[in-house]
Amino acid sequence: MRLLFLCAVPLLAQKIVLLPASIELTGPEARQQMVAEAALASHQEDWTRMAEWSSSDPKTAIVDEHGLVRPAGDGEAKITARAKGISATVAVRVKDSHAPFTWSFRNHVIPVMTKMGCNQGACHGALAGKNGFKLSLRGYDPDADYDTLTRQSLGRRVSLTDPASSLIVAKPSFAIPHGGGKRFAKDSLEYRVIEEWIAAGAAPPSLGDVQIRGLEVFPTAAVLAPEAEQQLVVRAKYSDGHSEDVTRWVKFGSSNEGVATVDDWGRVKMNGSGEAAITLGYASQVLYSRLSVPFANEIDADTYRQYPRRNFIDDLAVAKWKNLHLAPSKIASDAEFLRRAYLDAIGVLPTSEDVENFLADTAADKRAKLIDRLIQRDEFVDYWSYKWSDLLLVSSRRLNSTAMWAFYDWIRESVKQNKPWDKFARDIFLTSGSTRENGALNYFVLHKDPIELSENATQAFLGQRILCARCHNHPLEKWTQTQYYQMANLFARVGVKNGTMAGENIVFAKASGDVLHPKLARPLPPAPLDGVSISLDSTEDRRIVFAKWLTSPENAMFSRTIVNRVWANFMGRGLVDPMDDLRATNPASNEELLAALCKDFIEHGYDVQRLIRTIMNSSLYQLSSEANGTNQSDNIYYSKHIIRRLNAEVILDAMSQVTGAPTAFAGFPVGTRALQLPDTQVKSDFLASFGRPARILCDAAERASDPTITQALHVINGDTLNKKLSSPEGTIALFLKLGLSDRRILEYMYLSAFSRYPTDAEQSALAAALEKARLEKGTEEARRDSHRQALEDMVWAMLTCKEFLFNH
Amino acid sequence: MFRLDADRPVEFCDGLRRRDFLHAGSLAALGLSLTDWFALRASGATASSDTNCILLMLIGGPSQLDTFDMKPNAPVEIRGPYKPIKTNVPGIEISENFPRTAKHADKFSLVRSMYHTAAAVHDTGHQMMQTGRLFQGGVEHPHYGCVLSKLKGPNGDVPAHVLLPRPIGNTGGNMPHGQSAGYLGKAFDPFVLNADPSDPNFRVPDMLPPDYLTALRVDRRRNWREMIDKSVGEFETSQDARLLDSTFHQAYTLMSSAKARAAFELYREPEKIREKYGMNRFGQSCLLARRLIEAGVRFVTVNMFETVFDEITWDIHGSKPFSPISCYRDLVGPMFDMAYSSLLEELSERGLLSNTMVVATGEFGRTPKINPAGGRDHWPQCWTMLMGGGPLKGGTVVGSSDEIAAAPRDHPVTPAQIAATVYKGLGIDLAVELPGAQGRPIPLVDRGVEPVQELFA
Repeated sequence: MRLLFLCAVPLLAQKIVLLPASIELTGPEARQQMVAEAALASHQEDWTRMAEWSSSDPKTAIVDEHGLVRPAGDGEAKITARAKGISATVAVRVKDSHAPFTWSFRNHVIPVMTKMGCNQGACHGALAGKNGFKLSLRGYDPDADYDTLTRQSLGRRVSLTDPASSLIVAKPSFAIPHGGGKRFAKDSLEYRVIEEWIAAGAAPPSLGDVQIRGLEVFPTAAVLAPEAEQQLVVRAKYSDGHSEDVTRWVKFGSSNEGVATVDDWGRVKMNGSGEAAITLGYASQVLYSRLSVPFANEIDADTYRQYPRRNFIDDLAVAKWKNLHLAPSKIASDAEFLRRAYLDAIGVLPTSEDVENFLADTAADKRAKLIDRLIQRDEFVDYWSYKWSDLLLVSSRRLNSTAMWAFYDWIRESVKQNKPWDKFARDIFLTSGSTRENGALNYFVLHKDPIELSENATQAFLGQRILCARCHNHPLEKWTQTQYYQMANLFARVGVKNGTMAGENIVFAKASGDVLHPKLARPLPPAPLDGVSISLDSTEDRRIVFAKWLTSPENAMFSRTIVNRVWANFMGRGLVDPMDDLRATNPASNEELLAALCKDFIEHGYDVQRLIRTIMNSSLYQLSSEANGTNQSDNIYYSKHIIRRLNAEVILDAMSQVTGAPTAFAGFPVGTRALQLPDTQVKSDFLASFGRPARILCDAAERASDPTITQALHVINGDTLNKKLSSPEGTIALFLKLGLSDRRILEYMYLSAFSRYPTDAEQSALAAALEKARLEKGTEEARRDSHRQALEDMVWAMLTCKEFLFNH
Repeated sequence: MFRLDADRPVEFCDGLRRRDFLHAGSLAALGLSLTDWFALRASGATASSDTNCILLMLIGGPSQLDTFDMKPNAPVEIRGPYKPIKTNVPGIEISENFPRTAKHADKFSLVRSMYHTAAAVHDTGHQMMQTGRLFQGGVEHPHYGCVLSKLKGPNGDVPAHVLLPRPIGNTGGNMPHGQSAGYLGKAFDPFVLNADPSDPNFRVPDMLPPDYLTALRVDRRRNWREMIDKSVGEFETSQDARLLDSTFHQAYTLMSSAKARAAFELYREPEKIREKYGMNRFGQSCLLARRLIEAGVRFVTVNMFETVFDEITWDIHGSKPFSPISCYRDLVGPMFDMAYSSLLEELSERGLLSNTMVVATGEFGRTPKINPAGGRDHWPQCWTMLMGGGPLKGGTVVGSSDEIAAAPRDHPVTPAQIAATVYKGLGIDLAVELPGAQGRPIPLVDRGVEPVQELFA
């Protein structure tokens, strides 16, 4: 690791880049921290601290030795940074440098108090406040906070006559004792902001205040050396067009502290190889910067040149590996690919015949053809219907059997038709009438409470967990409590009444009804999360407003969510992980790739089958899971295929298939596979212990795939597998009746359980073990029984080992 | 060759005795290398006394005012419907709903100044009371029992940490409940019973092979499985694949130890004892907890309830689908009273209380003022928890609340301090650092967090 970067040191920087690339300082208090980023051959370095800073005109703008630019007089100037013999210059425009200025309660005082922790959950932001002083959590309610500060406590908190004696500066600066300790010094900017705001008359927040519109971060991304440090600078943009450097009041976090940590001032320290998102939160706006340190590998450029690129997925994966110094594993063998493709696309193992045929096929495009064939199969419909039933919580827990079936049949029909994903969503949210005629409407029978409906629908289709905003704005998520209740109000007028037949409901749009904001105790104009609101007295069907916004091509969350879910199905991990947590501060491990997949998906009409085909045909999908010398520790960038345990239903069906003994499910015809069940309420000890989801919460984590002791005990001692092995109608019984040799049986079992031929060594060792287990004495019947038991035991051993239980 | 059944010892045909086996294999199977192990020993993590712990999670959040922090002089809408009674420790009074517990007040102490500052939903309290921390930044912190399992490993053939009867389910917040090993890795998750010990047919599912499988075959299967598995190497890089091996290993260990299996066999208890604990899920789980501790389990977590919806629990909002305040007298109170008092009494009689802490807590308290539905709502600002056994004192009260039990009056105690207290009680050095993601060390408790010293004898 060291060596690699030592080599880079003698190299001269090619250039310095100054960030931000242009600056405008508005008002006497404006300031801008600059970053001098040196671009070296293989990575970047932060030279801000070592650079010499100068201003072309100190009467207009001054710059200190740390690169902090401040206004002196109106006009234009140039700021230059020079280090190691190279330099860079940026223009600065100064205006209103001597105009009257007052700090704003909303845009300065609240952010200062937030950064200093005054209104955090552990202090005055607690539900009950602290020592009689209560602020809104992280300042989400400026009006209430203003009231608390100025009207309560007899004006002691804010004293207009003697600002310095105001408790809100005297306590945190520890001029008088403060249970929360010293939060800032008397000579700090923070002190000055609050004190000067009071001295200027403590103006309240008003509707006319300029509003924050967004954040910018510098640099937005960088490849750095191990142990490197990097200063981040954050600028807020406001509704009147001006910008301010807010770095010191931003709340920072790291998505991966093993790679990078960040301090309160935006200074990042790189600790390990890989990529981290440094998340920024300020005034309910969020953003991140992506910083990475390449792995300590030296990789020949030929590695990337020789990698077979089949579509854009491969191009973008290679770009990522190049940055991070990872080499992809080799392409998986035909046998590995075949097994993987079957399990991922249709949840079924290939039969021994499928395996033999595929391995014997010499066509160059046999993998692509297989993919096409799989997508046409009925089991494809079973598998994806099951998946979307998990997503939409199809279950007889809260639906009666008729309704549950109607809901499931609608999903099944949609999968069968390859209904575009936007149409799928619109079929739910854009229709009304009988739940028997349109099974999709049962979604509203399941979710009668608008709050629950709003939370589950945003989780299912947008990957957003908005729950926190039910009670307060979240510090590192962008959804506010106002947005939450505007969104919930979209579902306030969904009416559900009994139909004429059992299990039938009628979904209709009610003419009235609202969800109240709990603090304001009044309804808010309905609006989709970041969409445009409609007026409260509008007669428009609010669900239609939601459906249009949801499925609009501009709604990136909608396509990202489904694309990421499908990706995770095939790749073992979402580009965004967890796969259903697409909050703004949780970026994808390869953003460019996710963006390209979404673009392609939208351009081709939200076609899920096409997306599946694109993923499966990429070389990326077809990589071996075996690590090479460079990617042992990579579990995020797909440079080797990710190994994972099969889902409960898939394991059970695979055991049935290999043993030739189907599972009996109460109330379903013999031969029904687990993946064909519409309902997760169907009793099965096996499925329960292997992590079948209950379909109560819309949460991908409801499905468990961790191996547990209970599972091990169940396959060792439980009835499920043991009964299948000894079934008189099963495969083993049949082979014995046919008189097949042990070697032939072993070969068949390897083909059907592992989708490959056994190696000679394996076949010989296992055949020898079976031979050794044969009884030499005893009646013929006893010898036959004993042989049969040995075969059962051998197959048991195959069906409980990793190669069977894992997709690899 | 012997049959695998409860009454006879078991020996495997590979000749390995169970104990050799554990020492040779189980550390590695648990992901702990011998080097780690010795490093931990050297750091003092395993050297001190072996104290165990039973943690009773009173899901729903008991009302401090109707249980252990009575305010008989407050107005009726505050003090509620119940009266205080004296205990066997002069000066300590608790609710009339716990007459049996009152006879054992010398065996536990009360912390009447518990509070937390996170959102007033069940899930946050579950996290903090079982890990000491609120989950933030994608980091899931490990349960106390999982930390113990990581640092000390199993004691004999039984798992180090058992969770009874089932994990906490949905309590409305859609957040993790702090009952897993979190960043320590799934290898240190608790062994979850997933069965109801009060069920007349209760047994741990699949603990023994069915009649038609002889020990010879069970053993042969195991050997053949290992033989087949060995030929494929690529799974070594997968944590889940390694975990699978470890679960099989632990399953075989459980199966082959008559003592371990017997610990789970509640039918071995005299009917009189079983009835004393209460013939319900919680009572029988507490009895099972005692048997497990006797067999060598280091940490047992008992969830009194699984959810707060459509079940009578401590969550007395007063309206459906939650519970009415009267259930403290009619159902939940007696259920706790019988089980908790019997547990203390039996542990004490059997000489186990001196090395077994018993901790009972909810995830928060309840509103001082009775709501219009006649119930009380969530109130994390103040509640009471019970701790005793092991190195902890009995018969004392730490902290107090104000006149309406709305806030701690003195000695406020946070969940983080309880974590420090539990770890100290377990004999773990508070300066230990645990391996977080990518090996980043995470302190057992944050710097500056002190145990509640007054609880230690």
